[in-house]
Amino acid sequence: MLNIIWVIMIFTGIASGLLMGRTKEVSDAFLESCVNAVELSITMLGAMCLWSGMMKVAQKAGLVDGLAKLLRGVFKFLFPGIPKGHAANGAIAMSISADLMGLGNAATPLGIIAMKELSKINGNSPTASNAMVMFAVVNAACIQLIPATVLIIRQQAGSASPTSIIPTVWIASLASLISGIAAAKLLEKRYRDPAYGLKRTASIW
Amino acid sequence: MDFIANISIPAIVLIIVITAWIKGVPVFDTFVEGAKEGAKTAFDVLPVMVGILAAVSILNASGFIDILSNLLKGPAALVGISPEIIPMLILRPFSGSASLGLFTEQIRAYGADTYLGRALSTIMGSSETVLYTLAVYFGAADVKNTRHALAASLIASYAGMLAAVYICKVL
Repeated sequence: MLNIIWVIMIFTGIASGLLMGRTKEVSDAFLESCVNAVELSITMLGAMCLWSGMMKVAQKAGLVDGLAKLLRGVFKFLFPGIPKGHAANGAIAMSISADLMGLGNAATPLGIIAMKELSKINGNSPTASNAMVMFAVVNAACIQLIPATVLIIRQQAGSASPTSIIPTVWIASLASLISGIAAAKLLEKRYRDPAYGLKRTASIW
Repeated sequence: MDFIANISIPAIVLIIVITAWIKGVPVFDTFVEGAKEGAKTAFDVLPVMVGILAAVSILNASGFIDILSNLLKGPAALVGISPEIIPMLILRPFSGSASLGLFTEQIRAYGADTYLGRALSTIMGSSETVLYTLAVYFGAADVKNTRHALAASLIASYAGMLAAVYICKVL
């Protein structure tokens, strides 16, 4: 998937940079981007260690299974095929909880942990399983109870009631979540697991 | 609400550590063991981030968003999308930092409590930088073939953003 997207992004970027006479800006941005990437990674390195460590402790304490039991009904529908008591259950539950609470710094590491656990169930295959795609889609819908960053910016921009957008954010997130789940469920038959054949259609993405 | 947000992390950490201690788990050793795995993952993700941010930054600096916004103005007006919102709709799934910058700039210009301000806020609050998330998550899991992940994630993203555009007209 990323192979083709990367080529398209770089090609359209450089081509329109030439057209618009912005080659210097493009060149500067390209060279600076790696500094930003390293800064982001270093920030994430600490958070990754912290949350991976906490997750390991929670798992050994049996808390992860407890959390997974609570959410069993939803998980059976969204992520079928996760064995009972597998660490993936708890990792997904923790990651979605972090999303809900708007804990950006914790949500990404927890999401990565969940994705790696799902990958283990999938035999660390280079092809994503249905459950892995569904997990990515649920993340894309960005369900948040309190969109903290947006509220702060609204307040700074002089809003009379920064929180007035919370209901619309909830409705929009829900619309996004429902459409995403439906799309993933419908598309998973078209882009089948290679185990079922049809490797070529899937490899485009 | 602030209280809930502030108490949630300390509460979770406390519950995890105390439960593990009671159950006789070697708490700190286990933490370090997990943290080591986390450090390795973070390093695995670094090259993915460099690649994605390089492509995104080229696109942002090139003025491509402006070209595309101008092209989409006509068709968007037909379905009731204001031209001011189009750059955000294009940018949001691809670049987190650029869309946040654009949002901050636009909300100051249009006012936070106007239709545009509320629609843009709703878009920001209800959508995710899909491309980055997919690249990092699947990169960390070493997945090459992501199947329908991008298609379904973009459907989710645009369904949410378009919902935001229309809901803010009604509510």
